Amino acid sequence: METTISPPRPVPLQPVVLHVNGSDHPLLLEPRRTLLDALRDDLGLTGTKKVCDMGNCGACTVLVDGRAMYSCLLLAVDCAERRVTTIEGLGGPALDPIQEAFVAADAYQCGFCTPGQIMSLRALLDAHPDPSDAQIARAVTGNLCRCGAYRNILRAGRLAAEIEADRRAQQGGQDGNAPGR
Amino acid sequence: MGMLTLGHRRAGMPPAPRDVVGTSPPRPDALAKVTGAARYPGDLSRPGQLHLWAVLAGRPHARILGVDARPALAHPGVVAVLTAADVPRNRFGLIEDDQPVLAEGVVRWVGERVALVAAETREAAATGARLVEVTYEDLPVVADPATALAPGTPLVQPGRPDGNLLTEVRIRRGDAAGALAGAATVLEATFTTTWQEHAFLQPEAGVAWVEDDGRVVVETAGQWAHDDRREVASTLGLPDEQVVIRYAAIGGAFGGREDLTVQPLLALAAWTLRRPVALVWDRTESMLGHPKRHPMSIRARWGVDGDGRIRGVEADLTADAGAYASTSQEVVKAATLLLTGAYRVPNVALHGRAVLTNNVPTGAFRGFGAPQAQFAAESMVARLAEAIGDDPVAFRQRNLYREGDLEPTGRPLPAGVGALATLEACAAEARRRFGIGWDGLGRVPGASSAPRQAGEAVPSAGTDGIARKRPRRGVGIACGIKNLGYSFGFPERATATVELYGRGEVERATVRIGAADVGQGVHLALRQIAADGLRLPLAAVALVADDSAEAPDAGSASASRLTLVAGRAVHDAVAAARAKWPETDDERVEATVTYRPPATTPLDPITGEGTPNYCYGYAAQAVEVEVDPATGVVRVLGVVSAHDVGRAINPRAIEGQVEGGVAQALGYALLEDFRMADGFVLTRTWDDYLLPTALDVPDEIVPLVLETADPNGPFGARGMAELPLVPFLPAVAAAIHDAVGVWLTDQPFTPERVQFALDDSPGTSARVRTPSPATSSDDGS
Ligand code: FES
Ligand code: FES
Repeated sequence: METTISPPRPVPLQPVVLHVNGSDHPLLLEPRRTLLDALRDDLGLTGTKKVCDMGNCGACTVLVDGRAMYSCLLLAVDCAERRVTTIEGLGGPALDPIQEAFVAADAYQCGFCTPGQIMSLRALLDAHPDPSDAQIARAVTGNLCRCGAYRNILRAGRLAAEIEADRRAQQGGQDGNAPGR
Repeated sequence: MGMLTLGHRRAGMPPAPRDVVGTSPPRPDALAKVTGAARYPGDLSRPGQLHLWAVLAGRPHARILGVDARPALAHPGVVAVLTAADVPRNRFGLIEDDQPVLAEGVVRWVGERVALVAAETREAAATGARLVEVTYEDLPVVADPATALAPGTPLVQPGRPDGNLLTEVRIRRGDAAGALAGAATVLEATFTTTWQEHAFLQPEAGVAWVEDDGRVVVETAGQWAHDDRREVASTLGLPDEQVVIRYAAIGGAFGGREDLTVQPLLALAAWTLRRPVALVWDRTESMLGHPKRHPMSIRARWGVDGDGRIRGVEADLTADAGAYASTSQEVVKAATLLLTGAYRVPNVALHGRAVLTNNVPTGAFRGFGAPQAQFAAESMVARLAEAIGDDPVAFRQRNLYREGDLEPTGRPLPAGVGALATLEACAAEARRRFGIGWDGLGRVPGASSAPRQAGEAVPSAGTDGIARKRPRRGVGIACGIKNLGYSFGFPERATATVELYGRGEVERATVRIGAADVGQGVHLALRQIAADGLRLPLAAVALVADDSAEAPDAGSASASRLTLVAGRAVHDAVAAARAKWPETDDERVEATVTYRPPATTPLDPITGEGTPNYCYGYAAQAVEVEVDPATGVVRVLGVVSAHDVGRAINPRAIEGQVEGGVAQALGYALLEDFRMADGFVLTRTWDDYLLPTALDVPDEIVPLVLETADPNGPFGARGMAELPLVPFLPAVAAAIHDAVGVWLTDQPFTPERVQFALDDSPGTSARVRTPSPATSSDDGS
């Protein structure tokens, strides 16, 4: 009564160039490989987390052409020609204002959901520099935090918007938009 | 939201020149966590590693007729398939070693590990695991405790003295039957709860390798490195010292990492194959693979006399232990003891049992039996208050534990009883915050029905004439008690080593203590305790905690105990090292101290007499809910959560524990409906198992902190991290009752259950009732 399982036939690998955090990465990948696995296992970018692998939790959130996407629901081969930003691509010598705000607001406990939360808020602030509280909540509602740090995460979102507004004010007339992601 | 601090702050403490305890410095791991640099077990890899994949049983009860590894071994990349025959000593367990590393002859639950595939790639390991051909003969499934205890039912673990009855606890004092017979008012009800899944975000994972000196190193996550080491070493037949457990960053735990899962698999493969190995479970493997919170069924009879004092309680609890012991014996003892909550009851007859079934094993989950027991106790208290026309706060004020009261086990409570103080602080704050609630001696007339937002008409509470379609608001309050630290004579201690360095003055220190930081922030708190004691800045105190070979045993990150026990060990080791410092010209001194709190005892098997605990935490919570009678959806609008923490070492970490605990409690109360049928897990992914999101958690969570110094804790601190889970469920039940007039007795309070309860209550229109599948609803409304 046991069903016999035969081994899967080998799938031809496909060449793809991923544009991640400003660099090009030529890779040879199985077409079924998710962007999440490609980032973590092929590029070693383990800041993007694998939790459910089916679009329930948001821990794998990255920016794809500036929009927050679940990388576990994207095939890597479909992401050629698209700009991907991971948590490792945020900030520079200084922290990104959202990262700064997460530290200031103590917006995590175990920290496992944190990269995904930050990427979701990054997409929000890039699109809406002055978001309402409802927009902040909506932006992270697809990011589970089992430690339940939600209220501090929302505070961090608000604080990050304020930090960025201050920076824009300091930059005066210059175009204060974040560099293209 | 700022935290409010009340009461006995630093009574008797000399003022410290540099006040580190009581402040909230930024977490030391902040940078790594916001940049993605923190390495969790699933992020680890070792050069030349093999990838492991465990073959799970996938069936609840079956004899293994054969395991054919040949098809798997023929798959390219597969290096080895390990089975029970490869395990040197195939038993492990936290309390009792009744669980095999790899199944031996029989599988007893769906998540049982049957074989372990090692391969050069993760994909090959996954394919290899599917190609292992296990031939089973299915056996009858013991699917619930009632069946398990019926005569003639097959045994889950043949050879045990009491068949499927894993453990039984009786606690008796006075004459409960007589007291109930003579009581002015007696109420009886049955309550049920289902499993709760920890759902920590980082699934079970890790790497392992063998060092040149022959030591096996397992780098993973857990809650007690030294006990993990003991258990893993025993499965390999090695001395403890030959196994090293290291903790990477821990992606949540909540009790779900107390039992071993992947650790013995990693160690076995590394030891047998002499290659570095890595293993990461997927979400479904995690949902099947670690013990859950116990489903319980609790029947309770409570009686009060004419002046509103509780005279007697009879209560009976049955918990589904699943296929293996895990910590079920301890959980059921703790739950049985707390069946009377934090109330003085002169006559009690309490009975608890844990029953083996072919369901997923159950064990530790934040609260450790207290939430289930007090769902029943606090609901009974609320219903009694209502039955005799009393205010829920006044009734509790009359009956709550006072200093020096006796526990059901006949011995006085440990000193520092904060039951009344937390209730009164909570009730006052709830009234002030929400403009609702109680004045401590009587309900504020009409207060709970006041609409919070202008423009929304909310009808007043009461069952008659409910406008079925309009959302209604209600408030509820409940108390909670939970042991802090180990109970019932379980050896309780923590060891810390403090090294001081400097010329003349102490310039810096290293603290060694094997305490797991699961996100609760205990590493920072321990450094704060040391820095305060040494009058050093925090940055001058280093901590070594995450390596069983480099730090002494602190005991587990559980029972809310680390701040209290490990904190005290650090505090005392600091004092011992400081005392040595003037006596030497060395530039380094070292002191090691093992702290042992006051002893507890096992309970007398007949009467239950004994000293179960050395410390309790007390809490009270008030919640406001909105119930939509049309859909049955319950929303929590606001929470006041009052806790006696003894002393807040790090107020912000406490606030985080309150808010996070409330979020988990909210999931438990309203959303998280873990289901099994005939031994199969129906909720295998987070598509089916709903977890609270940012939108479910109320805007208003008010952490309220009281500081009644504990006689043993460092600076008077006691633990608190589990307490937010304790009163919440009955507080929500009371709030739903306040809103729509029905008492819910089956957790979680899903929309279906709310609707069914409304359908069954008088004064609402009849609707066609469709029974909910897989729900044995004992209607107590
Ligand atoms: S891992 Fe992608 S949504 Fe959970
Ligand atoms: S901080 Fe642990 S899951 Fe969010």
